[in-house]
Amino acid sequence: MNLSLVDPFVLAQDYPDTLTEKLRSGHATCLRFNHTGDYLASGRVDGTVVIFDIETNGVARKLQGHTRQIQSLSWSRDGRYLLTSSQDWKCILWDLKDGSRVRTVRFEAPVYIAELHPFNQYDLTSSNLLEICLSTDHAFLLSSLLFVASLFEDQPVLVDISSSKPIKRILPSAPLRPQPTNGEEVDPAVAAKQAAQDAKHSTCVTIFTAFGNHIIAGTSKGWINIIETETCTTIHSMRLCNGVVILARLANNGRDLLVNSSDRVIRTVLMPDLSQLGIDFEPSAIKLQVEHKFQDVVNRLSWNHVTFSSTGEFVTATTFMNPDIYVWERSHGSLVKILEGPREELGVVEWHPSRPMVVACGLESGCIYTWSTISPQKWSALAPDFGEVEENVEYVEREDEFDVHPAEQVHQRRLDLEDEEPDVITLDRAEDSIDAEQAGMFSVPVLLDISDSESGEDIIAVGPGTMRRRTPGDGDADKDSKSAANSVARGAGRNRRR
Amino acid sequence: MDSARSRTRRRESRDRTPVESSSNELAAGPEVDESKLRRGSWSNQKTFTPKRQKHEAREYRESESSDELVADADDYWRGSRNRRSRSPIDRHADSSSNDRSHGGSDEDRMSNGDETLAPGRDDMSDRSSTPAPSVEAPVKPERLNYKEKFVLRGHLRGVSAVQFSPDCSMIASGSADATIKVWDTLTGRLIYTFEGHLAGISSLAWSPDGQWIASGSDDKTIRFWNVNTGRAHTKTFEGHHNYVYQIAFAPKGNILVSGSYDEAVFIWDVRRARVMRSLPAHSDPVAGIDVVHDGTLIVSCALDGLVRVWDTHSGQCLRTLVHEDNPPATCVKFSPNGKYILAWTLDGCVRMWNYVESRVIKTFQGHVNKKYSLSGSFGYYGSPDVKHNPPLAFAVSGSEDGAILCWDIVSKNILQRIEGHTDVVISVHTGKLNGKRMLVSCGLDKTIRVWEEAPEDQEQNGAGASPVEVVTETIVQNDIASNNDEDGDNEMVDAPLDPSTTETTPALTEDVTMT
Repeated sequence: MNLSLVDPFVLAQDYPDTLTEKLRSGHATCLRFNHTGDYLASGRVDGTVVIFDIETNGVARKLQGHTRQIQSLSWSRDGRYLLTSSQDWKCILWDLKDGSRVRTVRFEAPVYIAELHPFNQYDLTSSNLLEICLSTDHAFLLSSLLFVASLFEDQPVLVDISSSKPIKRILPSAPLRPQPTNGEEVDPAVAAKQAAQDAKHSTCVTIFTAFGNHIIAGTSKGWINIIETETCTTIHSMRLCNGVVILARLANNGRDLLVNSSDRVIRTVLMPDLSQLGIDFEPSAIKLQVEHKFQDVVNRLSWNHVTFSSTGEFVTATTFMNPDIYVWERSHGSLVKILEGPREELGVVEWHPSRPMVVACGLESGCIYTWSTISPQKWSALAPDFGEVEENVEYVEREDEFDVHPAEQVHQRRLDLEDEEPDVITLDRAEDSIDAEQAGMFSVPVLLDISDSESGEDIIAVGPGTMRRRTPGDGDADKDSKSAANSVARGAGRNRRR
Repeated sequence: MDSARSRTRRRESRDRTPVESSSNELAAGPEVDESKLRRGSWSNQKTFTPKRQKHEAREYRESESSDELVADADDYWRGSRNRRSRSPIDRHADSSSNDRSHGGSDEDRMSNGDETLAPGRDDMSDRSSTPAPSVEAPVKPERLNYKEKFVLRGHLRGVSAVQFSPDCSMIASGSADATIKVWDTLTGRLIYTFEGHLAGISSLAWSPDGQWIASGSDDKTIRFWNVNTGRAHTKTFEGHHNYVYQIAFAPKGNILVSGSYDEAVFIWDVRRARVMRSLPAHSDPVAGIDVVHDGTLIVSCALDGLVRVWDTHSGQCLRTLVHEDNPPATCVKFSPNGKYILAWTLDGCVRMWNYVESRVIKTFQGHVNKKYSLSGSFGYYGSPDVKHNPPLAFAVSGSEDGAILCWDIVSKNILQRIEGHTDVVISVHTGKLNGKRMLVSCGLDKTIRVWEEAPEDQEQNGAGASPVEVVTETIVQNDIASNNDEDGDNEMVDAPLDPSTTETTPALTEDVTMT
């Protein structure tokens, strides 16, 4: 509602420039905004997941269940469920309504990245069916609830967790080789060599495309594979670079891919419209086209983590061994801003889905830093008869300005002028398409008794001039560990039941 | 203050049933029987549970996060997907369209209950909703017909704030006797009395999830009370240097804003009970405050006559509205769609501002307002069949002559002048329960009155709903109050409870902890 009042120049600024906030709850290693940007999930070194409320910068919920560092976070579209993956070889799907675990999936290796299918879970949460089903303790049939996970030194898997027993399907890592044409003999030596090479590929990154029909996988050999979700077969492969693909991300529009690889180059790739496949588009015609390569040729910096801005207009990256965040714009591929502030190297960086706001977590302290824009107060807003002018303006007196009229007459005239027909009920329907999603938007319940002992500084004053680090187990932390124990016990119970 | 018994009500004969009415006379045999019967049937219909059943999603645009690019892309992809049918996402497309149809307005949802619970309304809906989608616009009702349903007594001093819970199943009232009382809307029964404030309550607000009541008091604190458990929140919101004048929740419930006599507006982080931001808002006591439906704007008004609009996120003032005569402003309310602001001023006017253009577009007059911070709200009227006839809006306010006035937003005509209170009506709130539109009002006569919209035809039949006075424990208390009169009010006697009340509501005043 505030858009009509905010200075358009402020709105026009689309990337942040100043360090504004510092959030803290334990040592954060992993960040992700939900789709509306109201909440920020942060995964910690100790395996706790903390949901921050962006409006208040306070902790909205804590989720305890992992025992090792959190590797990745993935929100469901409506913001009610959160999939976390951790180095403790587990993925957990959380229901943020009550903080309970909907699913726990174990793997045989630490998990790099796990991502929820962008749409299927939306089906579930929007129907009341799920509510009923969940209460009857997982004895339900979900249409399909998929996520994809890339594992450390293991095959990536597509996991169906619609039933309480997860179904894992292994995804291929080897790139698609051109099929031998009919009759042509394949040299066994070449075939063997190829097989040996293929075996060396391991997938480091898997993400869904915008509609989830396909999975984009990045391998340790710098290949990008496009895998069809339904069949789990590779339909296209392309060698993008020589290094390991560290991270791949899609822009909100689903057509731009951002790839960070170990060769110190960030690439933006234009994706074809994969939803057209099978209609007027053949898999063989897929072509991934590199649009920009962002790199620092002088310092040869390598990049810790990359992200698109909300519109995909900007690309942001944190740098290895360096406290700066680089912001490039994509139309020309030029560097527009280096965000500075903290004195430590930064890890994960995320861009707010609607505001010019960037968050990043410090590797050393685990603090979450926030950059955004600060708009100056417009003084003319404080007094209605003030106006901000660029230069002196000659005041022209109105003809009747100092005429004296009887008060009643003035009042009556005013009343007579009020002949509009205001509509005080109808909401603006301008953004209907967005509304459809937001009608079912979930907001995390406000818990008044959440312990926020760690959201403040970890340094406490013990005497005049002396400070010490807060030791675990101090004060409210007790409560924390107790609840952790509870949740562990509960989790164990659940596992046993299975 | 007259005791209710001896009061004489001025009423227009059109407005009222001929049934003679000092409705709280216990002695009136048949009426009591009837009320008992009614109560019985109500309890059949609804056994009271303080827990809220479900959180009703408010429908609003979140303009802030409108990402048009995303939207366009979505449309595009969705469109292209329709050509290909076998992929899993078609399900999504279906469900999202279902969603859209479910996500009707509040009114929509509520009106489903009409047939079952309110048979009396049939004739009205027949009248106004033409069976076939008619071409001509429906006739706009000229009058409202709210009738008194309950008179709730129990407070020992004037009642300064009253509000329906978000689902309208309960009413919370705050009084100068420093207590907050929670009442059941259907039966008028007292559910809780919250004690703990050290001075009178001037404002209260329900959290959007209906679990908590926040109360702002002259003891400079804001306290939270849990409606499910009947207990106080352990944290008190301290920070204001003077009386807390008015409070309001942001729609998500994570932020509370308060205006105080210390001339500041505080934005609180509800979870941590800490001030997030303090706005140096005014140069006189801040009397009124409100948050827009999407939470992005705050409006405040003060006795200096200024109405200011703030950005919640940045804390900056975006607009200042002043009327030429600069009368002290005592209350502000955003319209349901957030495009206008209703402001009460001590010159006896309620003005509706278009705050984007800084212009008064309507002035509502007819009530008396010279001294008290009266407050009111927006309400809906018109046919209950909202699908075919969009509801009309009215503004409602109390008056210092004991009346409640309802104005049509467009024509500024007084739709109804509701008489009943015997002293200043401080606060009025509108709500809708089981398809029945309701008003609740409170005033210096220590009563809270619930009004229900009655079909107009009924009054001609003469069989009109005789205003039922639900007299709970409050009879006894009323005597105490009237004996002690004004001076005895300071003595805060906990009301002896009616046995029936005790049965149904296990956690009562004894459980309320003082912190």
